Amino acid sequence: MKSESAVRRRPNGALTGWLFIIVAVVLICTFYFYPMIQALLLSFKTGTGANIHFNGIDNYKRLFTDKVFITALKNTCIFLVIQVPIMILLSIFISVLLNDSKLKFKGFFRTAIFLPSVTSLVAYSVVFKYMFGTDGLVNLALTNMHLISAPIQWITDPFWAKITIIIAITWRWTGYNMIFYLSGLQNIDSSIYEAARIDGASAFRQFRSITIPLLKPIILFTSITSTIGTLQLFDEVMNITKGGPGNATMSISQYIYNLSFKYTPDFGYAATVSYTIVILIVLLSIIQFKVAGDRK
Amino acid sequence: MKKAFVLLLATFLLLTACSSKSDNSASGGSGGDSGQEISVWAWDPNFNIAAMKLAVEAYAKTDPDQKINVIEYAQDDIIQKLNTGLNSGTTNGLPNIVLIEDYRAQSFLKAYPDAFYDLSSVIKPGDFADYKIASSSLDGKQYGVPFDSGVAGLYVRTDYLQEAGYKAADLTNIDWDRYIEIAKDVKAKTGHDMLTQDPNDLGLIRMMIQSAGSWYTKEDGSTPDLKDNAALKDAFQTYKALMESDTVKITSDWSQFLAGFNSGDVASVPTGNWITPSVKAEASQSGKWAIVPMPKLKNTSSSVNATNIGGSSWYVLNIPGKEKAAEFLQKTMGSDVALYQDMLKNVGVIGTLKAAGEGEAYKESDDFFGGQKTVEDFNKWTQQIPRVNYGMNTYAIEDILVSEMQNYLNGQDLDKVLADAQAQAESQLH
Repeated sequence: MKSESAVRRRPNGALTGWLFIIVAVVLICTFYFYPMIQALLLSFKTGTGANIHFNGIDNYKRLFTDKVFITALKNTCIFLVIQVPIMILLSIFISVLLNDSKLKFKGFFRTAIFLPSVTSLVAYSVVFKYMFGTDGLVNLALTNMHLISAPIQWITDPFWAKITIIIAITWRWTGYNMIFYLSGLQNIDSSIYEAARIDGASAFRQFRSITIPLLKPIILFTSITSTIGTLQLFDEVMNITKGGPGNATMSISQYIYNLSFKYTPDFGYAATVSYTIVILIVLLSIIQFKVAGDRK
Repeated sequence: MKKAFVLLLATFLLLTACSSKSDNSASGGSGGDSGQEISVWAWDPNFNIAAMKLAVEAYAKTDPDQKINVIEYAQDDIIQKLNTGLNSGTTNGLPNIVLIEDYRAQSFLKAYPDAFYDLSSVIKPGDFADYKIASSSLDGKQYGVPFDSGVAGLYVRTDYLQEAGYKAADLTNIDWDRYIEIAKDVKAKTGHDMLTQDPNDLGLIRMMIQSAGSWYTKEDGSTPDLKDNAALKDAFQTYKALMESDTVKITSDWSQFLAGFNSGDVASVPTGNWITPSVKAEASQSGKWAIVPMPKLKNTSSSVNATNIGGSSWYVLNIPGKEKAAEFLQKTMGSDVALYQDMLKNVGVIGTLKAAGEGEAYKESDDFFGGQKTVEDFNKWTQQIPRVNYGMNTYAIEDILVSEMQNYLNGQDLDKVLADAQAQAESQLH
């Protein structure tokens, strides 16, 4: 008797389980997987606007000869390689300072540093554009401090435009990453530091041998999210430099936008470029897991 | 802490509620399939929207019951919405009438066949300036109602020129080389730069080559014509000479461009007539400006002292309500000479309806420009603008050229630069 009821109950239980998740499954399939597959199919098509047809892997071949794409990829990589480490180090540094129990007005400082990441992307980009204009605040300040004699062409010079974008994204996202480190730091038991102090470890030694290893999962998390964020960089370049001067700051996302909306629409090729971002993110994440994620 | 969280949540909910509400009101009524109401999309409230509203007022005299809803979007938003709408195949939410820039018109007409309503029987192309028809028609069918003229001129500060020993007449019908000479002189004697330039915007190049009847593509509008394009080569050389003359103030956006002349920093503005309202916005400079014909290219014999930049036309989407929308355009922008006088007087729009040029407003003198009959002059130059086919890839090619221009300015060989641009354009355009 007992075994029979168990047999009868099991399929029912499974069905109930499926009923519970079926809505979520349908929604995820419709709004996540279906568009992803459609976009993948689209990346094998070519043509303008509504006249598109399949053309095999031509779009993917075109990537390798497309100078604008290569420039955009190069720019995005430069932003990635320079900005992400700077930002991660800066946010660890700031979070350690702000975690000091003797610090006053902690709440104020934390809020102040976090605030940039909740401001509107477009609004801050516009403000940055004016601050870094030829007659802008930054040049004015630097001139008044006699650090420079002629105004720096922050936005219209290829080199300085890149620097401007790096400053802008660092300003916006450092506070965001700092929050993760702060919460991580608060989870480290103070007795570990106490023991280290008794053993005579210096502050730097404590930082290197306790803080950093214990923060490793968070460093991994922030570097992956920052990498993804940088690979999708769009608003800042669109609003501050428009990708210029002469494509010097164009990011991959902006190139996708241009292919879809600025030029004669070529959605097929735009989808191909989008998939290169997907591939890049997957590759870089795997590498980061391999390098930093040895311990869970 | 809990309280703060609840407060935050409440604020968030309130904000999202508000924003969705305003979203609804913005898109409400833009449905093109109602059959009742005509919706119009355009950008620039002080120019296109203002002109359209005058047309709506004028039309109310013929059909007072027709409701016409003019909605303002930024140009980029219109392009984005049109592309996504037309590409997805759902025309829900698209307008009946839309303003499209002439440089982009061909790309829309070709990319979305059947999306636009054929206006061949509604307006007569011959009624409008010749060069506007090339961009607004396809395969012999007329799709757009030509709107404002993009005829360009050289706006000059007569007081600065005088200080340097020149008169407006000295800049009339000159070539760019002479312009650069004068620029250096003006800079040396007055300390003012001659013009502003945004290194990302090749509008000057576009004006230079159109003045020679040339474009980035060949006659067919799709074959890139960069490598052996003599006019383009001349334009690049001229541009480099200009940029290296130390008379150019570099800007990076529109507001800096406006500030360049409104603040009195620069002595001239070579651009389209649509800049007039912005020049006149600085009332204290009244009487200090004049408009002379655009300089031409020195080494290109086909180049004339007349060219074009910008300009746009109205298009009707092939969705329910198209007949009514076409009729509205036919009776207003398509033929109403009196409306064109109003648009010129109140908004500063120089239309391209030939008959409008005979109207009074087109012959008035302007005290701001020292009593010059500016519109009459512009109209005269309009007749001389060489007709070119902008094709469908103007901006894609320009993005290639803008980085090649940087290479050229940094010392690369011009022939190599243009050959590279040609190769890139060929591999990318279809």
